[in-house]
Amino acid sequence: MGTVLEAEGLVVGYAGAPVCGEVSATVNAGEVLGIVGVNGAGKSTVARTIAGRQAALAGDVKVHGLLIDPDAVPFRRQVSAVFDDDLFFPSLTVREHLLLIARGHSLNDPEARVEEELEFFGLMVRSHAIPDALSSGQRRRLLLAAGLIRPSSLLILDEPEQRLDPQMRVALGERIAEHARDGGAVLLVTHDPQLLLATASTCLVIDEEVREFDPEQGASIIAGS
Amino acid sequence: MLALDRSPRHRELAAEIVRFTRRSTRHYKRSRISWGTRFVDVYSWGLGIGVSLTIAASFVLALRNEIAHRASTTGSIIGEQWLVLPEPVLWTAVTFAALLVISNLARKLGPMSVNGAESSWWLTLPVDRRPMVLPPFLRKVALTGAGAAVVYLPFSMVTAVGRAPLDHVLASLTFGLAAAIAVILAALQQLAFIGPRLLGPRLLGPRLGRTIAAAVLLACAVLPALTSSGWPTALVAVAAVGLLAVVVPRAGQVRGDELVRGGAVAGHAGASLFMMDSNEVLRALGGTRKRVDGGRAARYYGRPAQGPLRALIRADVVAFLRLNPPVTPPILWLAACITILLVEGGLPEFAQLAVIVIAGCATASGLGSVARRTALVPELDAMLPLHQALVRTSRTLMPCVAMSVWMAALSSLLVLLGAANPALIGVGALAGVGMGAGTLRAATRTPPDWTAPPVETPFGPVPRAQLGSLMRGLDVTILATVPLLVALYLGFVPLSVVAVQGAFSAGIFLLVVLTRPKRS
Repeated sequence: MGTVLEAEGLVVGYAGAPVCGEVSATVNAGEVLGIVGVNGAGKSTVARTIAGRQAALAGDVKVHGLLIDPDAVPFRRQVSAVFDDDLFFPSLTVREHLLLIARGHSLNDPEARVEEELEFFGLMVRSHAIPDALSSGQRRRLLLAAGLIRPSSLLILDEPEQRLDPQMRVALGERIAEHARDGGAVLLVTHDPQLLLATASTCLVIDEEVREFDPEQGASIIAGS
Repeated sequence: MLALDRSPRHRELAAEIVRFTRRSTRHYKRSRISWGTRFVDVYSWGLGIGVSLTIAASFVLALRNEIAHRASTTGSIIGEQWLVLPEPVLWTAVTFAALLVISNLARKLGPMSVNGAESSWWLTLPVDRRPMVLPPFLRKVALTGAGAAVVYLPFSMVTAVGRAPLDHVLASLTFGLAAAIAVILAALQQLAFIGPRLLGPRLLGPRLGRTIAAAVLLACAVLPALTSSGWPTALVAVAAVGLLAVVVPRAGQVRGDELVRGGAVAGHAGASLFMMDSNEVLRALGGTRKRVDGGRAARYYGRPAQGPLRALIRADVVAFLRLNPPVTPPILWLAACITILLVEGGLPEFAQLAVIVIAGCATASGLGSVARRTALVPELDAMLPLHQALVRTSRTLMPCVAMSVWMAALSSLLVLLGAANPALIGVGALAGVGMGAGTLRAATRTPPDWTAPPVETPFGPVPRAQLGSLMRGLDVTILATVPLLVALYLGFVPLSVVAVQGAFSAGIFLLVVLTRPKRS
């Protein structure tokens, strides 16, 4: 299994001020790295920095041995990131949004792939609705579908369980595990102990000092015990 | 990882994605708008533009005749014109200032940008971004050029009375092309400063980029005045095409965060303009980089303060020092006022007074950053155990002091030019207090409610509530200058003007601090 993600001495924050301790981690193909911590610890900031959404204060992040560059086409092809960005084209339907991603990533038979994702995420009956007409949970499903319909060697998910019902959370956990079994690496920021236990190989606890635990210990920390 | 892929296949894919999105958008919009609605839209826009153009044309022609008549006579609000600026210098300076404004505005708004949805759904795709950002950018260049040419035509007619009609058209075309260059230069700064590929990593820093752009625009500003032949227009056209040839192939290389930033500012400013909310427009365009430390005056703020009022005043003073832009804009407005007065031939007196009022309002508006920010969070005013009037007094203190100093400086210069006796300095300082208080009133302006019905008057229906909302703040700022303008018109300062100015400023100050702001 090759190394997909390497973070070395990574310091993240805003306007020059770090929000948490230094992060060093490696994620190989087939592994799921869980990232947990209390609210405001800096989990999402770490994920956003690794996804290239904001600049690191110090340290390096490499994907497949190359420094991250969100403007480079190869990076965009390899890395799929799902954050809580509730931004949609107001005039494109659910199906058209997914079709855009499928075509943009040159998938074979994009229409069929879109149908599969609509089925999986329970959006089939709402496939011709524009996002404004969806519930917040359905919009979350659409974002996750867009992140998972496309191929990627590194999948970054920021609290994907938010606004999902318990059934969908279980299905999502299976899907993340399947992505890892197929050789993908996953960086999963979560507050859900069940999701962490169902998917993660290792776990980083973000705080003033960033420490690595096994998923069971991470789940205990989330649960507050 | 894979090699960088900018093959024609991927460019075609990106173009197809853009076409797909736009086609769907068109289809969706058409399905929601009936032909009747479209006809009403076209009719009302056409009528509005026609009426506006007619009013503008009659105003321009009246001003042109006034200036033509004025050139043969003497008269100005100043008595001693110890420095005479040739008229072309003034108009070239105005043209240059307009081009700088266009370039700075374009830089704030991108000019290459993507909106929120495009940033989420387009920028993450592994395809060349050029088809996504280039067509809107070219539209912006073309629209800016066309708009600038149209706006410059009346300016040319007013400022060059003896010019032939064809020369006016050529001058307008030249200015339109220069405006297009201003936008393209902003795009070049976006590429050169942000992107590492054009001129090397950060070789062209933001300051150097702005300096080079200013130098090019200065050269462009001279050309509309040289319209005895078509070569200036041809020269600017060649320059515009040359610069476009540099930008167009590299349009896909602008960094994603820069595209998102431009789109966010443009979206915020556009929505604020649509709602006619000038405070929000200023907030959108005045966004600065976040600082982790407080910035200026930390030591002053750290000193112990006795009592809540002193603590609040100190907080407002420090916030003013940290949030307000540098002193350059007020100085430039001051220079603009004096330059207008010193120009050869001179503007009509009412136009000179109007320039002073505009400069005063613009400077006062620039000093309202703290009030505009705090107006967003009314709960801030209730944090300390103080009466709301005292809170508003504290908030308006620094704008009043700053405007008082600015108006005193302007009045001093006017006295030096023989506009009136030295008592004008005191009148100016007093006027500044009222103008500064106007910034707080303007900051608490609510967006106009266009659902409110207009009021019937002998002159027809007037949207009084909406006008009141739009003019809030500006009304008292202009009112505060009235006694000063009377003194300037008279050429001396009667004691009654001093008394009236004092009463006006005190009344405005009290009105502002004692009036509860409207909440939308």
